[in-house]
Amino acid sequence: MTKTSAGKPFPWHILFFLGPGLLIYFSVSVYPLLDTLRLSFFHESSDGSLAFAGLANFTKLLFDVVWSEPFWNATWNNLVFFFIHMLVQNPIGLLLAVLLSSPKLRLSGTYRTLIFMPTMLSVVIIGFVWQLLLSPLWGITENFMWNLGLEDYFDAWLGKESSALVTLAFISVWQFVGIPMMLIYAALLSIPDELSDASVVDGANPWQAFFYIKLPLILPTIGMVSILTFVANFNAFELVYTIKGALAGPNYSTDIMGTLFYRTFFGFQLQEGSLTMGAAVATLMFLVILLGVALYLFFFQRRIKRFQL
Amino acid sequence: MADLKLTDVKKSFGNVAVLHGIDLDIKHGEFVVLVGASGCGKSTLLRLIAGLDEITSGSMEIGGEEVNGIAPAKRGIAMVFQSYALYPHMSVFKNMAFGLKVTGSDKASIQKKVEQAAKTLGIDHLLKRLPRELSGGQRQRVAIGRAIVRDPKVFLFDEPLSNLDAALRVQTRVEIGKLHKELGATIVYVTHDQVEAMTLGDKIVVMNAGRIEQCGTPLQLYQHPQTLFVAGFIGSPKMNFIEGIVKHISEDCLVLTLSDGTITKAYVDSSGCNLDDVVTFGIRPEHLTEDSSADVSLLATVTLVEQLGEASYLYLTLADGTEMVMRTSGESTTIIGEQVEVGFNPESGHVFDADGGALTRLRAGNTKSVAELAQIKAQLSN
Amino acid sequence: MKIRHDRAKALMVHAVLLTYTLIALFPIWVVIINAFKSRKAIFNDPLALPTADTFSIVGFEEVLLRSEFDVFFSNSMIVTLTSIFFVLLFGAMIAWALTEYKFKGNLLIAVLVAMGIMIPIRLGTVSILQLMSDLNLVNTLTALVLVYIAQGLPLAVYILSEFIRQIPKDLKEAARCDGVGEIKIFFAIIVPLIKPAMATVAVFTMIPIWNDLWFPLILAPSEGNQTITLGVQQFIGQFVTDWNSVLAALTLAILPILVLYLIFSRQLIRGLTSGAVK
Ligand SMILES: Nc1ncnc2c1ncn2[C@@H]1O[C@H](COP(=O)(O)OP(=O)(O)OP(=O)(O)O)[C@@H](O)[C@H]1O
Ligand SMILES: [Mg+2]
Repeated sequence: MTKTSAGKPFPWHILFFLGPGLLIYFSVSVYPLLDTLRLSFFHESSDGSLAFAGLANFTKLLFDVVWSEPFWNATWNNLVFFFIHMLVQNPIGLLLAVLLSSPKLRLSGTYRTLIFMPTMLSVVIIGFVWQLLLSPLWGITENFMWNLGLEDYFDAWLGKESSALVTLAFISVWQFVGIPMMLIYAALLSIPDELSDASVVDGANPWQAFFYIKLPLILPTIGMVSILTFVANFNAFELVYTIKGALAGPNYSTDIMGTLFYRTFFGFQLQEGSLTMGAAVATLMFLVILLGVALYLFFFQRRIKRFQL
Repeated sequence: MADLKLTDVKKSFGNVAVLHGIDLDIKHGEFVVLVGASGCGKSTLLRLIAGLDEITSGSMEIGGEEVNGIAPAKRGIAMVFQSYALYPHMSVFKNMAFGLKVTGSDKASIQKKVEQAAKTLGIDHLLKRLPRELSGGQRQRVAIGRAIVRDPKVFLFDEPLSNLDAALRVQTRVEIGKLHKELGATIVYVTHDQVEAMTLGDKIVVMNAGRIEQCGTPLQLYQHPQTLFVAGFIGSPKMNFIEGIVKHISEDCLVLTLSDGTITKAYVDSSGCNLDDVVTFGIRPEHLTEDSSADVSLLATVTLVEQLGEASYLYLTLADGTEMVMRTSGESTTIIGEQVEVGFNPESGHVFDADGGALTRLRAGNTKSVAELAQIKAQLSN
Repeated sequence: MKIRHDRAKALMVHAVLLTYTLIALFPIWVVIINAFKSRKAIFNDPLALPTADTFSIVGFEEVLLRSEFDVFFSNSMIVTLTSIFFVLLFGAMIAWALTEYKFKGNLLIAVLVAMGIMIPIRLGTVSILQLMSDLNLVNTLTALVLVYIAQGLPLAVYILSEFIRQIPKDLKEAARCDGVGEIKIFFAIIVPLIKPAMATVAVFTMIPIWNDLWFPLILAPSEGNQTITLGVQQFIGQFVTDWNSVLAALTLAILPILVLYLIFSRQLIRGLTSGAVK
């Protein structure tokens, strides 16, 4: 008999299970991310060689007007984009989820399937679809509003500096409302029927039952939906790129972090692309997302236990 | 007063009829236990009384007032659920106060009522905890407390003890019995547990497939089951049934030949019986003895012995293959495979006609008066 | 009285849900019906269904003639299916190793993988592009597949771990007692058991890959390598003014997904609502 204490044989099987997957994950995801963070501290000279530059890239981005103006503009726009999602997408998602979960609702599955459908399609497709629908050339929306007697309010929203960003946000809300709806719906289903029955017997009306019983119980899910929305919004790119192009017009009014990152890295028209400045923008995006996730973990995750059934 | 009166109450879910006309009369302060096989509609009936589901037809009165279409909270009922249904995010205090709060009681009276109820139930030291920080028995009490504070006319319990372990179940059962006496409220209580039903109920309602099979005091059901179903349902282990043929009829007794050839008398109302009718003879396991000098004896082979300590159950097979159970003293030395002679007193037998209806028993276990019952029950619960 | 009230309430609920369903479907509907109409009809009455007079598939002819839709489509298929296959295989292997074996670094790896759920892989694009050009993989589908495997792994590991944890210990221990090797246990016992979870993971992994524009745009934008999303984007960018072609291209991109979605929606929604993703 061999002594087990003499050291187990090398666990080849663990290496077998972890090896291939982790090799790809570390080399294509973890390493590039870390390398990007590293690159953000370097300067690239015209011959392509890299030199350590300390925080110069960040000071440029945050304080040098040429860079900081677009940067703060994109940050602000991205915040607006996010808040519109929080204020419109998630409440609508919540409302739909609550309605879908009403007891004995017929066709609930059909509604669910159909409302979720746009979420499945590519943002690119959705972008084009709405561009067509809102186009004054085609006039579908205009006609529609004319029928409602609202024709005076129609405008080429996507083309105006004042309304383009909000319009884009609404298009995105329209597409992704299915996600909060589905997740909140699942959370509502997991609340035992007996709890609702108990609240009815206790004399709570439907509003009270919702605000005192159901809402607190789905709060963790709402927190999760919020952080998912946050990450997705600060990582968004396709919709703006599809509808407004990399320049995020008019006059950068729809520029968000994703498009800024793209332009900084690749360059566009007059602007020359920069590897290290791109890395710096990505690093700042990373910090913003990290901050969001940290806040979420701090405020929500800690309390989730409270609500466990 | 909180009498509860159900008249021809029917309930269907879509096309599926679940309750086929329930008539039930419950007096103020009565403790009524609903029993019946799984899926026979006990919970459904309870939810109808609570108003959580609408009745399909018929009428329901609480305290003389028709409550069809009246919201649960306005019916003066409170319900304790099988899973307790405590609000997981609220403290014990808030759980108990919720019903008062949403119906607009003022803070001071809420505080007072909750504290009082908590004291009654011995959970006043737990008021700040969350449900998940409580044991099963404590949760159970909170659920009852939540019902008490609302000061209902009728309490509805749906298998409230089924999630507790055996010891706790006994303890809580006794407490519920005491609570009933203290509060003097009407209680409708669903259970699967024989002992709970027999010890707690002033009245037991046996349900079968959406109908009331029989309704009466525990001893009435035990001694005078009106149907084969009730006879088999009440009592544990269940009553033994042996097929028999009527061989002789006199005024107060029948003579039967049982399927294994044994001949026995049965003291039942014989009117309506014909010679050679096929009937079912019933005898409870606890009425069989190993005493071969009894009036009637059956020859049987022991196939299994279960020793419980204070008693043993012998599983028997008669000559014709009929299977029976008998309860005998824990000291019995009978072993598997042994041939035994099992005796019984014909007075303790039951007879059921071909439709499963019981023939009225004439000798044994006359229906007791309420006063006598109370005495017997007091003895039982000691 | 209560019954009538209930009815009114149910009616309200249906009204709201139906309205929103129409809002969700209307844009897609309009695009699809107009793709089958002549240019004149598209503008004259955009909401009308195609009739014998107005029916036209000139848009589709143009698209198929002037772009390589079939190539886009097959590129997308290759990339998506290959990525899903490896995400499932490697994801299950990692999930198994992390939940089953205790070894040094287990926790660290678990945390690093979990971080990938929240932190978008896009942020590393700068270095990914460098890496791919070092490996000579720029403008190949392989580059996309590698990125998508890395992108899909974290969620896959997370969901599959949850499932693997629920597998009763007895099953594996019985096999070990019989002297079955670890690798065989995984493939012969664990994999068949987590197949339902794998279906869920497959759907979740598939959607973002199929719909992605960012990485195809950056890693494989050249002729012949575009995925369908990028192909449609470039095609429409080029032929903006040809309404028939634009509508037809959109319809061609939408329809396959719609059909697949309607077939698999049950599975997808069950996955979403089963609490597999928390
Ligand atoms: N909402 C419903 N829709 C359709 N059928 C139902 C519904 N609720 C109950 N039923 C059916 O009604 C019958 C009675 O159910 P109920 O819950 O009352 O049984 P029970 O006697 O309480 O059983 P158990 O002892 O198992 O709790 C069952 O057959 C059940 O399937
Ligand atoms: Mg029940």
